[in-house]
Amino acid sequence: MSSKKSEARAAVMTPLATKSQEKAKEEKLGSVAEGRLKTYERKANNAKRFVALLRKRMTRQIAASLAACVHCGRCAESCHYYLARPDDPTMTPVWKADQVRRIFKRHVDWTGRVIPWWVHAWTPVDDEDLNRLKDVVFGTCSACRRCTLNCPMGVDTALIIRFARGLLTELGIVPEGVFNVSRDQWETGNQMAVAEVDYLETLQWMKEELQAELGDPTVDVPVDKPDCDFLYVINPREIKFDPRSIANAAKIFHLAGESWTLPGKGWDMTNFGLYSGDDSLGGWVAKNVYEAASRLRAKRIVISECGHGYRSTRWEGYNWAGVDQRLPMESVVVTLGRYLTEGRIKVNKAKNSEPVTFHDSCNIARSGGITEEPRRVLRRVCADFREMAPNRTENYCCTGGGGLLSMAEYRPLRLEVARIKAEQLRATGAKLVCTMCHNCVDGLADVIKHYKLDMKVVQVLDLVSRGIPR
Amino acid sequence: MSPLLKTLENEVQIVALLFMAAVYGLRLVWLFRFKSRKERTFSEGKEAAGIGYSLLNIAMPWAVESARKKLGFYLQFVIFHLGVAAAIAATFIIPYAPRVFEVMAVVRLFQVMIGAAFFVGLMRLFRRLKEPAIRLISTADDYASLVLMVLFFAAGFLAVPNAYRSSEAALTAFFALTAFFLFYVPFSKIGHYLYYPFTHFFLGRTMGHRGVYPIKRGEKREGR
Repeated sequence: MSSKKSEARAAVMTPLATKSQEKAKEEKLGSVAEGRLKTYERKANNAKRFVALLRKRMTRQIAASLAACVHCGRCAESCHYYLARPDDPTMTPVWKADQVRRIFKRHVDWTGRVIPWWVHAWTPVDDEDLNRLKDVVFGTCSACRRCTLNCPMGVDTALIIRFARGLLTELGIVPEGVFNVSRDQWETGNQMAVAEVDYLETLQWMKEELQAELGDPTVDVPVDKPDCDFLYVINPREIKFDPRSIANAAKIFHLAGESWTLPGKGWDMTNFGLYSGDDSLGGWVAKNVYEAASRLRAKRIVISECGHGYRSTRWEGYNWAGVDQRLPMESVVVTLGRYLTEGRIKVNKAKNSEPVTFHDSCNIARSGGITEEPRRVLRRVCADFREMAPNRTENYCCTGGGGLLSMAEYRPLRLEVARIKAEQLRATGAKLVCTMCHNCVDGLADVIKHYKLDMKVVQVLDLVSRGIPR
Repeated sequence: MSPLLKTLENEVQIVALLFMAAVYGLRLVWLFRFKSRKERTFSEGKEAAGIGYSLLNIAMPWAVESARKKLGFYLQFVIFHLGVAAAIAATFIIPYAPRVFEVMAVVRLFQVMIGAAFFVGLMRLFRRLKEPAIRLISTADDYASLVLMVLFFAAGFLAVPNAYRSSEAALTAFFALTAFFLFYVPFSKIGHYLYYPFTHFFLGRTMGHRGVYPIKRGEKREGR
């Protein structure tokens, strides 16, 4: 079957960029040499390898989701891509999933193996076909899972998309940004390649700032302190671009009389394996965190405000790593809620007088089960809290989910479909949009800037810290 | 009753049913040969509640945005599937409990259900042809399945009075289609109901475990 018959003509078509991959091979990076980070091999029969991988990695959950779709199209209007581009039929979740489903039907399912034309079964024949599939699964879906919760058949389209991403990652047929971030996380243990010295210096800097702010030389930002109540793990973005969020957390922990520590190693709870579909990377990164907690004999793990980090560390990481959970774990927002309930910190609503709305991160709400805890906190610390509509598990993605912020080639489409999010934000009339996800902070900031909205993005820690009387 | 109709109503239907059951059995073996992910995390919710919610939220249009916002489409879904249930029931009532259709009210009830489903089937076919997004994803199997269902409803509508003298042709068509369906369904999208319990079980188990399902508001949750 000719590759021209592929329907995978996505709204975005980008060539496969392999410059970074070539460089990584030339430099003989450890992760590449050891085969952990996969690179593109032009001479390999990648289409055949893709099919073999698809058969090998197929799970019962994915097979059921691939077999069950009845093409009813109910998912279409749950997707912000389709809502923003209703005249483009390639924007529906079902069409995107069908690009994988057709290969499944041709090689795994029954009818498609015998009479492929009857069920649109199809097979990729060359790297061009796989590259088009790359554009579909990486470029036109933020894996927000909104369609999954709206499917009458219970088809988990986001699971299918991640599965296909994982197969392409294994072949090195990925957007350059995906390769780069995966490389950084494999090589340095954190996805922003923060050096150990920078990490420790930033923590020291925050500690000094806090001591000055509170006029208390005993305030600490502890690292590798054993036997604490909890291990606090963060997003490298906090070190690189937003160290104040660490200071905010440290200040609140101090005022609450908490026993806590950051780890010297295994501090990055973000996980690009979730986005690239690479379970081995996902398992390795998550295991670093679990091992840090074990090494320091922490009683539990508290995860900083990060959507995909929370989902990866709390829910997916153990399964990817193949280890059983041993320690309790929670989002820092749950910790903050407890402090407020127990009266361990006092807040003054008047300090947050601007109207605030809350954006539920997809990975935390739809895939993580946390919807009420941040609201309880915000109602305690904000004078004017207002819901956006829809909200909780029905909220729209910030548009930067699924790793899309690292894929520059898909930015124009991402911002175009962000119109749905912009309208949703604008309708609240809020001046601040609060989220408990660093990825959403960047995604929302892009939306606000592009659509010229009169609002700023903040996080729960910011508002709680600001609400604490001096 | 002609020998052909008698054979279709009895022997052919039994063979076809056995065939369908056997293929469904094989299909389940096929599905369960794929590995399943082991859940290794502490639970935040109840898996059983999540599974129950996921399986039943098809009957809770208010709980699912795609149904809540398009109640008309949801109603079509209900009518269509009630018609399917009535038509399938008729394939058993006619040969094995024909006295049921001696009650005219029952016949009329079945005709209303099947007739309404017939019109919904036509609407669905029209939608599939008209909407570019649906047309793009539609396969020959999608069209054939829908056309066959429409024909099945038409034949069923005429067959339920179970009047051999006046509508033997309709009865013959109805049972011929039934036999064909029983052979064809496991290989087509019409067999989706076989997967429904599994997709919803898997999704409900994951979402229940994480405390996402059942979707409710205001609950307190501590870290685990």
